[in-house]
Amino acid sequence: MNDPRASRLVEAALRCYPARWRRRHADEAAELATLLIRDGTPARSIAWSYLVGAAREWLTPRPGRRLSAVACALLVAVCSLGVSVALLASTQPARAVVSPSRPPAPAHCPPRSASHAADAVPATGHPQPVNRGPGHVRPC
Amino acid sequence: MGKRDDGAGQDILRRVGEASVLILISLADGPKHGYSLIQDIKELAGVELGPGTLYGALDRLERLALIESLPAEDRRHPYRITAPGAAALRVHLDSLERVSAAGRLRLQLGGI
Repeated sequence: MNDPRASRLVEAALRCYPARWRRRHADEAAELATLLIRDGTPARSIAWSYLVGAAREWLTPRPGRRLSAVACALLVAVCSLGVSVALLASTQPARAVVSPSRPPAPAHCPPRSASHAADAVPATGHPQPVNRGPGHVRPC
Repeated sequence: MGKRDDGAGQDILRRVGEASVLILISLADGPKHGYSLIQDIKELAGVELGPGTLYGALDRLERLALIESLPAEDRRHPYRITAPGAAALRVHLDSLERVSAAGRLRLQLGGI
């Protein structure tokens, strides 16, 4: 896979399979993913297909595998997927921490107009201290 | 609806799912590996098998001894239909043909 992000996505999905399956199919499955991506199949849909396959693989009862073992394994798979997704997300460019949208005003506030919005920041440009004692009502 | 078994053998492919049947049909003319199977089934039936679905179906068919894995070529494992697999496919296709013929006949009788 030429695209490292696509590669990581598919590899993360393949890691969700049981070790027995990975020993047997993982190399071939990774190569198959490469070929499908080259043909234009989105990496997301390939990874999703492998994830569903992994869940099925864990949930299919096998002789000698108890239900509790299946549940534990599923939990581990979900956790490792979460870690993988978090790793992928951490490679994204940092986004602004301030949300552009303001939380909804309390019910007692009148509807805001454009002139109100312009007045939202004091002329000094500094935030005003707010005394929030017991039973205070949020200002509009 | 009761099961139909008129001596030609039980249709064990009735419950394995469409993907497994399509894989057996694709393997009927010779061994293939995963990528060739996906391409062939897309051409043959217009069905795009996901790779996860493919490996699930291959494992199931192998457990049922309807297909077998051949020695790996590079990193690819070709699969081949076994004699019981070919027999099961024949029974299943016969069953589908009977149902199809009955359906067409009823459409004619109903004048639709």
